[in-house]
Amino acid sequence: MNQIEGINIAVLAPVLIINLILIIVAVIDLVRVENTRGPKWLWALIILFVNLIGPILYFIVGRRNN
Amino acid sequence: MMSQWITLLQKELVEMWRNFKWLWVPITFILLGVKEPLTSYYMQPILDALGGLPKGAVIKLPEPSAAEVLVEGLSSYTSIGVLIIVLTTMGIIAGERKSGVAAMILVKPVSFISYVTAKWMGGLILLVFSFFIGYLATWYYTGILFEWISFGDFLHSFLLYSLWLGLILTFTVFCSSLFLVPGTAGFISIATVLIYTLISGTLTKWMKWSPSMLTDYANQLLAGQSLPTAANPAAAITVTATIILLTLSVVVFRKKELAA
Repeated sequence: MNQIEGINIAVLAPVLIINLILIIVAVIDLVRVENTRGPKWLWALIILFVNLIGPILYFIVGRRNN
Repeated sequence: MMSQWITLLQKELVEMWRNFKWLWVPITFILLGVKEPLTSYYMQPILDALGGLPKGAVIKLPEPSAAEVLVEGLSSYTSIGVLIIVLTTMGIIAGERKSGVAAMILVKPVSFISYVTAKWMGGLILLVFSFFIGYLATWYYTGILFEWISFGDFLHSFLLYSLWLGLILTFTVFCSSLFLVPGTAGFISIATVLIYTLISGTLTKWMKWSPSMLTDYANQLLAGQSLPTAANPAAAITVTATIILLTLSVVVFRKKELAA
C-alpha cells in the first residue's frame, strides 16, 4: 500500500496503543477464563483478527460470567 | 443500612474490575467517539492514497465544522454506545437471579432496596466514567484536528447526554428485574428505546420535554445556538423518570423474590 501522506503518527499513536491494550486485555481474559460461549480457539481468532469489534464482541457475547 | 449499601456497591465495583469492565468499556467508548474526528480529518489523504479515482477526477470533500464532527461522534454513543450499555446491563439482576446468587445474598439481611440500588449505582458509575473518558477524548481530538469547542459547552453537553444515557441504563435495570431472562430484558430495552426515540423524533412538537430530546438540545448548544428553554423541564422529567423507574425496579424485584 502506498504511503499515506499527511497522516501524523503522533496523532494516531494513542489510538493504536489503546486498541492494542483492548486486544491484550481480551486475550488475558480469554486465557484466564474457564469456558466461553463457543470454542475458545474461535474467540482467539476473532479477538486477534477482527479489528476493534473482535475484542468487544468477545467481552459482550463470548464471556460467560461466573 | 448505609454501610451495608456501600459494601454491596464495593462488591459490585470489584466484580466489574474482575471481568475487566473498567478497562474495556472506557476503551470502547474512546474508540467509538475518536473514530469520528479521525476519519473526517483523514478522509482526503485516505482517498488519495487508495488512488481508486481516475486522474482528473478531483473529489474535494467539504470540511465539516468542529461542532458537526463532535455531534457525529456523540451519535455513536446514542447508537452503538446504547447497545453496549444495554447488553452489559441486561443481566445485572436477571442473570444473578437465574444463577441463584440473588437468593443467596438475600438470605442475609440485605434489603431489596440496597441490593437493587447498589447494582444500579455500580452500572451508572461505570457508564458515566466511560462516557466521560470517551467523550473527552473525542472533544480533544476534534480540538487538535479541527477547532476547539469551549470546555464549558463540552461539560454541559456531557451532562445532558449523561442524563439520557442514565435513563436508558435505569430502564434496562428495570427490565432486568422484570424479566427472568437477560436476553428478554435486553431485547425489550433496546426495542423500547428505539421506538421511543423514533416517536419523539417525529412528534417534536408535542415531545419538547421528552428525555430523548436532551441530546438534540445538547447538539444545538454545540452548534453555537443557545439552549432551548425546553431543556430544563426535559432534564427535570428525565431525572424524575429515572427515580420512578428505579423505585419500580425495587418493587418488582421484591415482589418476584417473595413469590419465588
